[in-house]
Amino acid sequence: MKILIAEDEIALQRSIQVYLERDGNVCEVASDFNEAQEKVALYDYDIIILDINLETGSGLDVLRTIKKAQKKVGIVIISANSSLEDKLEGLDLGADDYITKPFHLAELNSRIKAVLRRGKFGGNDTIEFQEIRVDTRSRTAYVDDVAITLTRKEYDLLLFFISNKGRVLSKEIIAEHLWGDNSDLLDNFDFIYVHINNLRKKLKNAGARYIKTAYGSGYKFISE
Amino acid sequence: MAQQKTSRLLRKASINFLLMSAALLILTAAALFIYTRTLLDNEIEEELYSQVAFIEKNIQEGNQPKSIEPILSIKRISAERLTTVRDTLMYDPRQDEVELFKELSKSANTTNGVYEIKVRTLIIESEDIFVGIIVSFLSILAIAFLIVFFINKSRNERMWKPFFTSLDKLRTFSFDTKEPIVFESSNIQEFNDLNIGLNELVTKIRGDYNNLKQFTEDVSHEAQTPLAIMQAKIENIINQNGISDTQYEELNSIQKDIKRLTQLNKRLILLAKIDNDQFANAQFIDLESLIKERVVDFKDLSENTFSVEVKPNSKIKIDTYLAEILVNNLLSNAIKYSVPKSTIHIKASSLMIEVSNTGNATLKNPEKIFERFYKEGASKKATGLGLSIVNKICTYYKFKPSYRFRESEHLHQFRIDFSG
Repeated sequence: MKILIAEDEIALQRSIQVYLERDGNVCEVASDFNEAQEKVALYDYDIIILDINLETGSGLDVLRTIKKAQKKVGIVIISANSSLEDKLEGLDLGADDYITKPFHLAELNSRIKAVLRRGKFGGNDTIEFQEIRVDTRSRTAYVDDVAITLTRKEYDLLLFFISNKGRVLSKEIIAEHLWGDNSDLLDNFDFIYVHINNLRKKLKNAGARYIKTAYGSGYKFISE
Repeated sequence: MAQQKTSRLLRKASINFLLMSAALLILTAAALFIYTRTLLDNEIEEELYSQVAFIEKNIQEGNQPKSIEPILSIKRISAERLTTVRDTLMYDPRQDEVELFKELSKSANTTNGVYEIKVRTLIIESEDIFVGIIVSFLSILAIAFLIVFFINKSRNERMWKPFFTSLDKLRTFSFDTKEPIVFESSNIQEFNDLNIGLNELVTKIRGDYNNLKQFTEDVSHEAQTPLAIMQAKIENIINQNGISDTQYEELNSIQKDIKRLTQLNKRLILLAKIDNDQFANAQFIDLESLIKERVVDFKDLSENTFSVEVKPNSKIKIDTYLAEILVNNLLSNAIKYSVPKSTIHIKASSLMIEVSNTGNATLKNPEKIFERFYKEGASKKATGLGLSIVNKICTYYKFKPSYRFRESEHLHQFRIDFSG
């Protein structure tokens, strides 16, 4: 995938780039408004990660430029502003998702994958991982072409794992993905373990092995 | 410090006037008493002297006037005596009792010999006149004072009216309202000066207050980006190979603190946004579906059971997002502080919502429960902002939040009355 990261905070831009390039994506960066405008005009990307508050201009204007040129590209806005109006304005202008700083890179990654899947950019709405197949339109998972029944949370969990395969996911990151801000109600994350265990059982022999513990308390979804 | 005794301005003015009037009245009465008394005494003496002069002349002319007791006694004496004036008690046959008389005794050296003439007059009569004068004078004065007092009182009330109007305005004024405070102009220079002063003060404080609110929002927003950078960097480090389990735990713990800061920030921003009036989208929300939806979410996250009693068709007018936050914060507060695995009761209608959780002890400072950063108990994870956000939303919509502890059932009850 070819991804443009339009973010004026170089450290953040760099971190996003590092995270996404590990999946084999090609990342280009734009560090200010003009550079972003120029790059979206000149090149084609699969995904543009767009900061709204670019030092020299608004990311929303970059968004307008992209839409005017009628480019087929998925756009994920990242913003320090959590206000609903900003979010709605961004989505109205044609952004595909909106994520508020600070965010987990795993979360950003899973959002990017979701945007790519939504067919309209020629993506595929099924994801496969070894013998596991997930149809994201019907929200069903198959193991060796046999449908398995997952609860909503188990389904979300599986998708999150596959989207971030090979990455270390802490219980906190998983909890936040599944329950949002309310996840801080949890005193301990034991029942993440319960969900993961249930998912393991349902994925049967092979699938169960993919969910590995990492560093004692984290998880990693990996095939070897 | 001893509490200064206060009294109302107009009352105080009235009391002062009355006290001064009374003092003046007493002083005047005393002066008048002394003056009239002297005047009367002189008058009586003069009359007595003139009577003596007549009698003396009569004797001189050879007449032999008779004594008329008790008002006149004449007797021949051997030698002249000193003239004296004195008060004396005499028997008055007309009234058949002893009365007080003023007596002038004077010796008259005539060709017919030396006589002692004593004339007397009843003091009682003069006393009556005296009392009459004093009483009528004082009554006139007292009536005059009373009239002046009431005129003065109503004039004072009118004169001070702008002052009291301004005072009422200040009392009901809140920096949270957007309307400017307008003081009535008055024809009294000092009141206008006071109003101008107050206006400047209010404008200044309002400016500072708004700056502070803006500052909170700005600071919180500015903190988001560095937090994002820290979080992203740590995530990349964790995904590099070659860190130890201990290092992972440390990094994970930093992540948790970043999350805490993030939550704190989000809540501060929310508070500032409500303050800055950024939720104008009120619409009717169905409480039943909202509460059930939230409860489903929370069931996943907690071991508590939930009992929900919502009257069907309970609707309140509120911004969708704030409604969610309101229910969310009430529920998460109940979960945080409840006895593990107990039941959380939620009751709601279009008039109120009440969330109760079990708890062992009463709060130390129940009146502070809705204050910013107030935390009770040992929950380190709490930001201390959840209920203050509830309170802020209530203030914004003029809802009335309340808390009570039901001793018998060990229940902490948080209730919000929508009618205010």
